[in-house]
This record gives sequence, C-alpha cells and structure tokens, in this order.
Amino acid sequence: MNRNLATVLIIWLLLSVAGIVWLGSAAIFPPSAASEAALIDDAFRLLLILAVPVAALVLTVLGYSLLRFRVAEDDDEDGPPIHGSRPVAMGWFVITTALAVFVVFNPGLKGLNELEAVERADPLVIQVEGEQWHWNVTYPQHDLSYERALQIALPVDQTVKFEISSADVIHSLWIPAFRMKMDALPGEMTTLYVTPDEPGSFETEPTLRVQCAELCGTGHPRMQMGVRVLEGAAFEEWLAAAKEATGGGMQMDMDMDMGGETDMEMDMNGGDGNGMEMDGDASMEMDQ
Amino acid sequence: MKTIGKGLLWGTIAFLLGVLLLGGVRLLFGRVFWEEEASLMVGSLGFIIGWLLGVGVWDYWAREWLNLPLRQNKSSGLARYFTFNTDHKVVGIQYLVTFLGLFLLAGLLAMILRLELMQSGRDYVDSATYNNVMSLHGTIMVFVGVAATVGAFGNYILPIMIGAEDMAFPRLNALSFWFVPPVALFLIASVFAEGYDTGWTGYAPLSTETRTGELFYNLSFFTLGFSSILGAINMLTTVIVLRAPGMSWGRLPIFVWAVFGTSILSLLFTQFVALAMIMNMLDRAAGFVFFDAAQGGSPLLYQNVFWFYSHPAVYVMILPGLGIALEIIAHFSRKPLFAYRWAVAGMMGVVALSAVVWAHHMFTSGMNGPLRIPFMITTELISVPTGLVFLSALGTMWEGRLRLKTPMLFALGVIFNFLIGGITGIFLSDVPVDMQLHDTFFVVGHFHYTIVGGGIFGLFAAIYYWFPKMTGRMYSERQGQVQFWWMLIGFNLTFLPMFWLGMNGMNRRIADYMPYLEGTNLFVSLSAFFLGAGFLLFLYNMVYSMVSGPEVGPNPWGARTLEWQTTSPPPLLNFPEEPVVVSHPYAYGGVQAKEHAVIPVPAASD
Repeated sequence: MNRNLATVLIIWLLLSVAGIVWLGSAAIFPPSAASEAALIDDAFRLLLILAVPVAALVLTVLGYSLLRFRVAEDDDEDGPPIHGSRPVAMGWFVITTALAVFVVFNPGLKGLNELEAVERADPLVIQVEGEQWHWNVTYPQHDLSYERALQIALPVDQTVKFEISSADVIHSLWIPAFRMKMDALPGEMTTLYVTPDEPGSFETEPTLRVQCAELCGTGHPRMQMGVRVLEGAAFEEWLAAAKEATGGGMQMDMDMDMGGETDMEMDMNGGDGNGMEMDGDASMEMDQ
Repeated sequence: MKTIGKGLLWGTIAFLLGVLLLGGVRLLFGRVFWEEEASLMVGSLGFIIGWLLGVGVWDYWAREWLNLPLRQNKSSGLARYFTFNTDHKVVGIQYLVTFLGLFLLAGLLAMILRLELMQSGRDYVDSATYNNVMSLHGTIMVFVGVAATVGAFGNYILPIMIGAEDMAFPRLNALSFWFVPPVALFLIASVFAEGYDTGWTGYAPLSTETRTGELFYNLSFFTLGFSSILGAINMLTTVIVLRAPGMSWGRLPIFVWAVFGTSILSLLFTQFVALAMIMNMLDRAAGFVFFDAAQGGSPLLYQNVFWFYSHPAVYVMILPGLGIALEIIAHFSRKPLFAYRWAVAGMMGVVALSAVVWAHHMFTSGMNGPLRIPFMITTELISVPTGLVFLSALGTMWEGRLRLKTPMLFALGVIFNFLIGGITGIFLSDVPVDMQLHDTFFVVGHFHYTIVGGGIFGLFAAIYYWFPKMTGRMYSERQGQVQFWWMLIGFNLTFLPMFWLGMNGMNRRIADYMPYLEGTNLFVSLSAFFLGAGFLLFLYNMVYSMVSGPEVGPNPWGARTLEWQTTSPPPLLNFPEEPVVVSHPYAYGGVQAKEHAVIPVPAASD
C-alpha cells in the first residue's frame, strides 16, 4: 500500500477511536427528566458516534493533503493525471448509501418506534392553550383551570397527555428537560405524550420549563411556565391544595397558589427589574 | 443615474395611480378612499410596473414593438453600471456590488442582534425592534444567499466559461437585475411601516396579524421571485444553446453544472414562495382567509407552500458554493477534477431529492405523525449525493500539487464548514432528535454552517478567484489570506457554540434568554463582533486592489477553463472569435494534455 494512504488510514483510525471513546461517554446533555428524553439522547449519541468516523475521514484527508501535497504558491507543475477511480467512487457511493440507510433505520425508524411505544395508558390530561404571550392550563380530570399560568405541576412516573391548542397564532410547547416539543395551532388540537421520570423543579433546573418555541410576536421569549415534577404523594397534596385554593372553579395564577419567590421572571431578570418590555396583558403578569 | 431617477419617477407615478384607482373604486362603492394595507399593496404593485417601464422595459421592448424611434443607452465606463445594460459582465458586476452591499448591511444587523444577546435581560433594543432587526437580517441574508453567487458569477463568468458571447436573452438578463432595487426598497419601506415580527419565514397566522412591515416583506420576496425565475430561464437556455462547438455536456466546467442545477430549482420552485407571499398579502390586505383557522383556513397550508420553495432554495444557496469549491480545488491542485461525472450526478441528485424533503421543517408542527417518516428518509438520503461532492473534492486534492492561495483556502473552508453543516443536518432530520432541536439555536448553527460556511465562503472564494479576471488587477494575497483565517476562525467560534446552546434550551428568535445561558452567549457575541470586523479588511483589499493592485495578464492562475483564455477584463463579446473546445477543462498533468480550447485569431484585416 502506498505510504500516503497508509498514514491517512492510521490517523483516521486513531482519530475515530479517540472521538468515539470521548463522545461515546462525554456529558453533553442537559439534565434529563422524562423517559422520552433518555430515548432521544440515545438517538443523538448514536448519531454522534456514527458521525465521528465520517468527519474524521474528511478531516484527515483534508489535513494530510494540506500538509503533504502543498507546494510553493508560484509552482506551476501539474499533478498526476488521475481522473478518477471507478472502484473508489463506487465504493464511496455504496458505503455512504449503506450508512444513510442504516441511519434511517437506526436511530431513525427505531427511535420513532420506541418513542411511539412509550406507555400511554391512563394519562393525566393537561390542556394547554397558548395565547400571546402566556399559557392557559387546565387539568380537566381535576377541575382545575388556570389562566396565565406561571407554573405547572406534574406527577413523576405517570404519563401526561398534553392537549395543545392556541387562541391566536402558532406557539410551540417545549420542555427542554423532556426533549419534547409540539406546536400549538389555532383551530386544531395537537397532542404530546410525555412521562416525567425524575422529580425536580424549575427553581433549581432551568431546563424544566415550558418555553414557547415558535416565534409568536414580541412577547415570545418570555412565554414560559415553570415545571415542577412531584413525587406521587406530593402531587396529590398539591392537587388537594390547588382545589382548595381555587374554591370551586375560581381561576387564579398558580404562582400565587404556590407562593414564594417562584416566578421565572425574577430569575430571568436577575432581580434587577430590568425586564423585557412587554405589552399589555403580559406586563401585568410580571407585576403580580 | 438617469435610469434610476426615471425608474423612481415612473414608479412613484404608478404607485399614486394604483392608490387612486383603488381609492376611486372604493369611493364608488361607498367605502373610504384610503385603506392602509390594500392601498399600499396596489400602489406597490403599481410601483414595480412603473419602475420596470422606467428603467428599461419601455425603451428596450415597448418602443421597438410599437415602431417608435429607439433610445437605447450607449453609456460606457462607470456610468454603465447604473443603466439598463445588456452586457452580461455589467449585469454580473451590478449583482455582485448590490448583493455585497446587502450582505454587509445584514451583517451589521446581526451585530445588533448579538449586542442584545450579549447578556440576559433587555439591554439595548426593545422586543419589537429586536424582532424587526432579526427578521430583516434573515430575509436579506436569504436573498443574498439565493441571488449573490448566481447573479454575480452565473452572469459574469458562466457565459465566458462555455464560450458564449453573452447570455441567451441579454435584455431579460438586465431586466432580472432591475427587479432587485425594488426588493431592497420594499425592505427599507418595511422599516418605515413599523417593521415585522415573523423572521424570514413569515409563518401565518402571525404574519397576517403583525405590523404593516409584513406586507412589504411579502412584496419584497415576491419581487425577488420574479428576478430568480427570469434569471433561471436565462441561465438554463444559455447553457443549453450557447455552448461553444466542442463544449459537450461532459466537458462543462463543474461551476456551470452547479449553476445549471441551481437554475432548475429556481425555475421550478420559486413560484411556490410567490404564491405563499400572494396568499399572505391577500389575507392581510384584501380579507381573504387562506390561513385563518376560525374561518376555514389552515395555518399549516402556509408552511407547506412556503417550504415547497424554501427547502429547494437552501440548495439554491449552497450548490453554487460547492461548484465553485470544486472548480477552484481542481485548478489549484493542478489535477483533473476527481470523479467528475460522479460529482455532477451528485449535484443532480441533490436537485432531484431537494424537491421531496420540505416537510422536515414541520416535524413538530402538528402535521400527520406517520407522514414524517418519508420526509425523514428522503432527508437522510440526500447525504448520499452530497457525499459525492466531498469525494470529488478530497480525491482531487489527493497527491495533487496544492497551491494554497486565497481562493483555494476559501474553497477548502467550504469543504470544512459544510462537513459540519451536513452532519448536523442528519441530527435534525431524525424525527425524535428533532423533537428537541427544532426551532433552537442548534438549527441556527446548522443553517449558518451550510449557507454561510458553504454558500458565503464559496462566494468569497469566487470573488478572490475571479477578481483578477473582472478587474484586470490582482488583490493583495497577504491580506486575502489574513482575511480567510480571520473569517474561518471568527465563523467557527461564533457558530460552533450555538449547537450547545440549542441542546441546552435556547430557542431561536428571542431577544432575551435565561441567565444560565449567559456565558456561552457572551462568547458567541464577542466572536461575532470579531467575525464582523474582518470584513473591513476585505473591503479595503477589494477597493485598494481595484484601483492600484498590480495589473495581471489573462491567466494569472494558469487555469485551463475558457474565461482565462481571454483578456482581463474580457472584451465586449468575450472572445475575438468563437472558441472551439477540444478537451476536458480539467485535463491537467501528463504529456498528452492539450489546450482546453482553441480560439481562432481573427483575420488581421483592420
């Protein structure tokens, strides 16, 4: 084998192995708080591992050529008249096709299948309506309803079915710690199933929040709600307290129910009151 | 200047006529005369027509058709760049300078965005202003991506590369450029109409409700669409019919193939975005309800129609850059383009597949769930034809004799950046992973790596490569190389951290974010300022070298393609006589290498 090829092959192998070892275990994800999140992180990790040898090959050939085949800028001699190589081109084509097909199946179809196969029986239903620029939340099974909610509470290890809609433009319900998002469309209901598997609260983990992820106007960045994932008993307690507090259908903001310095705006501003300018109703929410 | 003045005058008159006409009819039916959006829309459509008649349609088409005495311009020197000129080289320069100006403007807008995002909290601009700046940055940069490279070098270089005297339809060519000034004017008008919120994608129904600037965004995109379609017809026809004798399809330079593929996309798909823009305008200004769910319309309809065009459009932005990269890598490795036919097949494969991937922008939109599967598959398969371009680039460099001049560095920059852009695209095409990454900074990083890292680096490669051809002078090689490393490092420092931001919960298009993302954002902002400052060096190099760079002969690179076999800059009809192509453009090396083309010497009668 020609020396150039052999060198490139060795560098490529070393780089690939190093990359796979490093990226195969590096902590690259934010905290994961739902069983879906674990599946999605696995898919991401697999893609990353598959990408390593591909990137390493291109970078090795590129870098090696730059160093090894470089000549003076005023050199005017031609290189060898190699127009191509059928086995190389054919081999490249076959291997890249095989790789693409592999990715379609794994993590592609496999991951999607696993995501669909997550347990969905007896979900806790939460209706979330996006409205410029806040979320209205209803727990229909518990007769709880909140306009301009600033937080939602979810039980751990129970499937939640979000029924998502919009009162005006398109919004998107995204919870980064769950790795899931789904748009909120006017005139149509979309659904998102998710099973939180780790108790936690937005107060300590900022990725545990509902974030609007579809541009919806000036208040878009601040269209958020904190998420609390509670242990079974704590969730029941919360439900009972919430029902008590709303006194049979009276609607109140959740942050008032929960009390304390819990609203995200405070965190977001760093408490200096230099908040985003928001119009009308949204700024009222900040003042509360 | 007279041309522009006349265009503005006729345009303004037509604008007023449009407003009067609509107002008059409205009065007849007992309505008020002025209805802001409807009046502006009809007036603006009038403006486009008046402008085009004023700048040249009247003089170049109508007068001839009506047998009136002809009044075509005979200006020369610098003045001809401000007129309706049918020389493809003039049109190419017009495109290049106009879109470079727009590129720098949109770059400045990006600096405002990064200034605001340096820290969490609202610091410099309010959200409405931020959204407006963000929308304009995106819109202008997309226009630059779509039109700059093809407009500039497709026009200036492509006809010379295939041995033609000019484009197939020179007047149509000039016309497609003169559609561009109204595009810019409408974008400026949008600022005075309170701007718009929707980004460059203009999703309904936000787009039907936001401020009046949206209307001008719609008009602007619509107008650029005309320019693209006319340009595409011209490019395709030119390549099909005007190739010099001997310039068979198998001997076309790879850049010509790239523009050819790009033009197929522009011709076939631009009408869809025009349609999306028209429907949105009608929803806003005329009371149609295409996208109003409460009245039977569908918001998802907009997204589908929009992405019918706008996904192929990203290949419109990238293919020319890839073509330029391969072109330059072959000439600067002094080796035949490796697996030329595979590379061409790869580009055509991208063209074909790009038509059937649009819904990958809609995986989390609430579209029919199982329908996401075919789009995931087609999107992931597009990496195969793209991979052939990489094969060709790497194979060409292998055992070549690489001369690392500025154009070559930028061409290799395209390969490096597009590698990252392409690989991150695979992550986004995977439906489950996209559930997390969609509409986050991961996407922002990804498309900047493809469109800027591939397309715009390709544009800069082309500018440096053909600068001596267009000006007859050489740029400063040292400054060029400094600018390359400056841009490459600044670009990667700016956009690489965005992948992390997206994974960790930073969504796109926000004026504010949570404090835990602050450190990385500060780093990104500082890198962006560094990246932006580098373009000053570029400008200095270009302007200084254009005036007092050392003069060069026809072929400073010793390249084989036809544009280097004529003077720098080329004469009016490019060659003294029609060239005859006798061998492959990349037949470097070996004793048997003949000239690519023979250019007969004209009879020395005068």
